[in-house]
Amino acid sequence: MASVPSSSSSSPSQPKTRKKPGQNSSPAPPPQTKWRTGTQERLYSRRLVDALRATRDRTQVQESVGSRAVKQAADSALALTARGQSRWSRAILFGRNSCRRKLLVKAGGKIRRHRRKQHGVPPVAAEPGVLKEQKVKERLRKLGRLVPGCRKLPAATLLEEAADYVAALELQVRTMRALADALSAATVSAPEEEETAAVDPMAIAEQGS
Amino acid sequence: MSSRRSRSRRSSNSSRITEEQIVELVSKLQDLLPEARSRSSERVSASRVLQDTCNYIRDLQQEVDDLSERLADMLASTEMTSAQAAIIRSLLM
Repeated sequence: MASVPSSSSSSPSQPKTRKKPGQNSSPAPPPQTKWRTGTQERLYSRRLVDALRATRDRTQVQESVGSRAVKQAADSALALTARGQSRWSRAILFGRNSCRRKLLVKAGGKIRRHRRKQHGVPPVAAEPGVLKEQKVKERLRKLGRLVPGCRKLPAATLLEEAADYVAALELQVRTMRALADALSAATVSAPEEEETAAVDPMAIAEQGS
Repeated sequence: MSSRRSRSRRSSNSSRITEEQIVELVSKLQDLLPEARSRSSERVSASRVLQDTCNYIRDLQQEVDDLSERLADMLASTEMTSAQAAIIRSLLM
């Protein structure tokens, strides 16, 4: 894992980065702290709003925005916020836009096109003991199916991806719930005013942030 | 490549996956789970952690689906007063 969004070993006084002090030599912050910073939340909120606006603008006048489109927009925004540094995020991005390279640039991280087969995967004989249990193997396989793009990974990589994915999903749920609650509170509380100040919530939200 | 492997020898360099690495990764995963808040220091079996993780991921994905439905419904209605829009703006910043 190469560059990480909000970490720097030489500037200890960055506000709102990681909650654990003094980890200069760690290559990447653990998933809990990485996905729970205020910066990440704001970043994802913005991306989410952008994606939702784009989805809504793309929708035809007679149709309404489908929930699947919203989910795809939210997932893509989440993968972008991950900056393509994890396999699951790359799987989401590649899955949506197999031809659009500029999406990779937009993510801003170090994304390398690497082949699907990994070179030098160690053979099964060197597995640690716990991985040889049948139950563990089955559950690892189940996990590999749940995390996007992680079906054939070796156990250690899969566990890392899963940890990152869980933390990212938590951010996604938090953000979407906050947005949904805010929108519903705003629409329910006041009576509808058709002619006067009809304002597009997404436009204001996007301008404001 | 396979001739370098020896079953009795275990080193901790990056090309080989050791027991400790797996254990550490599993415990990292365990800390992320909601169940971790009730049993913080007790170590659970790897298969249990994996099971809980699968269930948790599935729950989270289900929540995302539900929230997507909510948001999709709300995006359809664009009528809103400017006061309400200001609320949203402040909440998003």
